[in-house]
Amino acid sequence: MVTLFGKRIRVFRPRSIWVRKVVQWFFFLLVVLIVVNHSLAESGAGIPFLASASLHAVCPFGGVETLYTFAASGLLVKKIHDSSLVLAGIVLLLSVLFGPVFCGWVCPLGTVQEWVGKLGRKLFRRRYNHFVPARLDNVLRYLRYGVLVWVLYVTATSGTLIFEAYDPYFALFNFWSTEVAWSALVILGVTLTLSIFVERPWCKYACPYGAVLGITNLFRVFSIKRSETTCKADGACSILCPMNIPVDTKTVVRDHQCISCLECTSEAVCPVARTVLFTSGGLK
Amino acid sequence: MTLTSKSLAVTLFIVLFGGIAFSSAMGWWATESTKVPVTFTDGVFAGQANPADIRGSYTFGDIAKSFNVSPDVLAQAFEITGEEPAAFAVKELEAIYLDSGFEIGTASVRLFVAYYTGLPFDTTGQEIYMPQTATKILLAKGDLTPDQITYLEQYTVTLGEAAPIEQQNVEATPVAAETPVSITEEYVVKGKTTFGELISWGVSQDVIEQLIGAPLPDPAVGVKDYASANGLNFETLKPALQVEVDKVKP
Repeated sequence: MVTLFGKRIRVFRPRSIWVRKVVQWFFFLLVVLIVVNHSLAESGAGIPFLASASLHAVCPFGGVETLYTFAASGLLVKKIHDSSLVLAGIVLLLSVLFGPVFCGWVCPLGTVQEWVGKLGRKLFRRRYNHFVPARLDNVLRYLRYGVLVWVLYVTATSGTLIFEAYDPYFALFNFWSTEVAWSALVILGVTLTLSIFVERPWCKYACPYGAVLGITNLFRVFSIKRSETTCKADGACSILCPMNIPVDTKTVVRDHQCISCLECTSEAVCPVARTVLFTSGGLK
Repeated sequence: MTLTSKSLAVTLFIVLFGGIAFSSAMGWWATESTKVPVTFTDGVFAGQANPADIRGSYTFGDIAKSFNVSPDVLAQAFEITGEEPAAFAVKELEAIYLDSGFEIGTASVRLFVAYYTGLPFDTTGQEIYMPQTATKILLAKGDLTPDQITYLEQYTVTLGEAAPIEQQNVEATPVAAETPVSITEEYVVKGKTTFGELISWGVSQDVIEQLIGAPLPDPAVGVKDYASANGLNFETLKPALQVEVDKVKP
């Protein structure tokens, strides 16, 4: 509340979902710890109470990549462990319930893109995340399904993690290692550079795991829902959506790109209470 | 039911870590290889370890436990010298052969173990390269099928250096499909000469068994070591073997 011309006026300041930031930091640091411990363990100096899991062992997408090989032969693709399949199952369950919450809350590559994006937001302000022409953007959004099909095909036919050579997530946490292919480093560099202009460019246009999880947006149990009766149609929810979803034109967000970040809800940018909610039921 | 960010965060942690705890309790959670490959589930090889599941993290010792292939044989096949071949990790092969121009790594070990043990292994559509030393050992065993021999002839590479390699990169050239695997070193029986080398030089298994008075031992075993361990006089055995080598050498 501020006092203006003798009147107390309620001023709305867009908030952010701070608990999401905390969760993102937690998982980022957890993955860093796992990667460092794995390197230490290989030289015989691992942290005693931590298993020397590799980055692949804690990546749920590995579970998706190995599915065909597992179904066909009972074997896992080279470098993939049972934990990847378990995580893939858990993340799928989470996604069916809450949408791609893994992308918006857990994935460290998404987190790093958001961090870089803060620079872009400061530099370009309202223009940030609105550089790509809408028509081109709409087409590019389907590119990640092509990437997914390619990754699944080459993994199934080769029995190896071909995608590792192009994976910016693997490069991000192994950039100092000789295991990382230059192509992955280049893609990571391009992704981080684009993040200055576009929020989460890898997630929007290329992430094959995002493509898998994005499909759950079509039938998930909890969805972003907007109440038309209380909505002031100020467009705040759409303007600040990191994935550029026009939330203010929908009553239920079923967009395949939603990452369940909740930044559009009444808990964050929407200034009207109980207007944009994350709910399993209906809204008045 | 409406969720706030806090309740979503709590639910996320419960489902994620609860799921991991549950899978761990059920024995499904494994972030590291158990070093025990899966077994064939049907057919005549049911219950036996599957070479296709050998991982880069396996050591030669791990392979020995599951497939009964001696670490010394693997070390000789892939030209690894060192104090403890059993501790050598398969994934280190790729770095050693990095400059060879051919990928010699985990897949090569899988193929070697499969051919060495007679276990099934599907090479369809795969280009799995094999160092010449490994091929020599496999040929010396004498129980490969014509298709397996053809595959090896196609994908065996000759190393630039005949000397054993220890943690160094090597250059290699492929053996042409129609060219039989050949040996470039001298045909002289020495203390380090193995039975596998004798066979690859053309000495028949029967002749060797006749001279040592016993069935042919593991091809990776050195003649001198065998003689010492079995009470034979190497100084007597060596010239006898050399005579046979001289008869058959190209």
